[in-house]
Amino acid sequence: MTLSELEEGLQARIIDLSGINPLVRRRLLDLGILEGSMIRLIHRLPLRGAFALEVNHQEFGLRYAEAKRIEVEVV
Amino acid sequence: MKSIALAGNPNTGKTSLFNMLTKSYEYVGNWTGVTVEKKVGKLKSGDAELVDLPGIYSLNPLSKDEGVSIHYLMNEMPSTIINIVDGSLLERNLNLTVQLLEYGQPLLIGLNMVDIAKSRGIRIDQKKLAKLLGVPVVPIIARTGSGCDEVLDKLDQSVSPSTFQIDYGEIIEQAISVIDARLEADPPYHHRWLAIQFLEGNQVVKDKLSAWIPEEDLNQLYDQTEKRIKDTGESHSLPSYIYKARNERIKAIIGDSVHVEQNSTTNWTEKIDRILLNRFLGIPLFLAVMYLVFQFTFDWLGSQISDQLDGFLSGPVSDGLTWLLTTCGASSFIKSVVLEGIVSGVGGVLVFVPQIFILFFFISWLEDSGYMARIALLMDRLMSSVGLNGKAFIPMIIGFGCNVPGIMAARTIEHPKERLLTILLSPLMSCSARLTVYALFAAAFFSSHQSLIVLSLYVLSIVTALLLAKLFSSTFLKHEDQSAFVIELPPYRVPQWRILLRSTWEKGKGFVRKAGTFIFGGSVVIWLLSYSGPSGFDVEMNQSFLAIIGNAIAPLFDPIGFGNWQAGASLLTGFLAKEVVVSTMNINDA
Repeated sequence: MTLSELEEGLQARIIDLSGINPLVRRRLLDLGILEGSMIRLIHRLPLRGAFALEVNHQEFGLRYAEAKRIEVEVV
Repeated sequence: MKSIALAGNPNTGKTSLFNMLTKSYEYVGNWTGVTVEKKVGKLKSGDAELVDLPGIYSLNPLSKDEGVSIHYLMNEMPSTIINIVDGSLLERNLNLTVQLLEYGQPLLIGLNMVDIAKSRGIRIDQKKLAKLLGVPVVPIIARTGSGCDEVLDKLDQSVSPSTFQIDYGEIIEQAISVIDARLEADPPYHHRWLAIQFLEGNQVVKDKLSAWIPEEDLNQLYDQTEKRIKDTGESHSLPSYIYKARNERIKAIIGDSVHVEQNSTTNWTEKIDRILLNRFLGIPLFLAVMYLVFQFTFDWLGSQISDQLDGFLSGPVSDGLTWLLTTCGASSFIKSVVLEGIVSGVGGVLVFVPQIFILFFFISWLEDSGYMARIALLMDRLMSSVGLNGKAFIPMIIGFGCNVPGIMAARTIEHPKERLLTILLSPLMSCSARLTVYALFAAAFFSSHQSLIVLSLYVLSIVTALLLAKLFSSTFLKHEDQSAFVIELPPYRVPQWRILLRSTWEKGKGFVRKAGTFIFGGSVVIWLLSYSGPSGFDVEMNQSFLAIIGNAIAPLFDPIGFGNWQAGASLLTGFLAKEVVVSTMNINDA
């Protein structure tokens, strides 16, 4: 499934980041987020707005379009 | 003078530490090579200067803002680097630390946010960490200043460069030695550092390297090495291979020096976000916050203080000056220039100082509390629909204070076209200078609901900016490639008075300085134009040079309904500085 389908409050493991914009991928890497990281969806803003996410106790925001391209699996 | 650099990830308390380590004296200069401002302060102890580098995650830049740091390290080798590290996010922070260690200059780690780490059950053995990295580690709490004296003490003693090195594996090490051999003794940088940065895809370093090694050779070496990496099947690119090797070592270091225990303390940030980022409440709450800020600035607090200041200037100050000038036996010319020119001109603008500082105080509060990043997140949907980025909202809000720092804040936007668009639109934001004009009009034309009137003028400027953004992004600034939007949401914090006051002053001092220079000079010139005319000095106002100039351009404004010479003259002076419109009107109508 993709990150955009994850339920609010649930955690999943990132399995594929290759579909996203390289700039975004680089920035996620800077934040220490890569394949294998455990990611949790805190909030989803309305009208396909941004996503508030959490990895390793740090919160960050991402667009719907990007979340749609991140493959995750619930463990 | 010795130059010390302060480097670290964004949101690690770097600015707080900078303020704690330096005297209030600081200056802003230009970086060599790039026209971006740098902040330099004098250290509290001794005669070294401290250079504040923009927050970065890695030496390999992604935005213009981040490029500043690598340009600095390439052009002006600092004698020591202070690396501020967020103890609660150690793994990510050490990625930069390792790159700075490889740079080869002496390094000192300021370990910040140990308190936050502790509350999450993370205990850092700082002695062990210092030993593993080969550099001094000083625990600090930058916001309160605890530990900063120890940082200064450590800087006084000579710190020796670390011998820390990572073995990147046979393939990478071979490529490094090829570059090292080609460089011989030439560049004054650590060859190993240059080679690693180059192999990681750092364009700035590559440009520098091409001065010694032909670009084709560099490209060939890069491609060959990348191919060998791909063949091993361990990684799909050279940069990610290096990242992984580095990350493995960092994980090993953390494993040896950090003890984590399960700790289930309440996460306040998430609780607050559940409300502030709520899908229904988020945007209404943001609008409510902005409304409160405007109410405080204009109705509840600001206008009271402004009225009192106005009364003080037109009462005791004017009377005192009149008395003083009369006792000195000043001529009527001098009296007129002081009372009608300077006092009413500069005074008319000075009365807005309280409102401007109150607005800046609240903007600083929003920044320091962590809410500003949430605003960017909330606004991204709207902004992206006109081809912008949620982050563009922050430069625009800062643009409310002054357009110049607003434009400078656009540097944090990674995508070049979005950055250009933000820069083009930021000047449409109603800056504090326009606020004086709005406030004057609101007071002159509306007897009640003045803050609502001013707020709607602000909203109008935002709507205009968004419409133009849509127009620009769908015409000449069209881009097919997608923009990047990743924003860190730092934990909420209670802002500290000292930080708030300093940052309010930083933002507002420009306005006060302008009142003393541009507006002062402008007032005198306008007064002189209104005092003199073709027939000599002390003429009737409508016989003055100002009336002649105003009359000449008045027909231009006739279609929009204010074709009198006073309005024409006021608009003309607004080119100098928008506040001068207000002082022109004060002088004209005096």
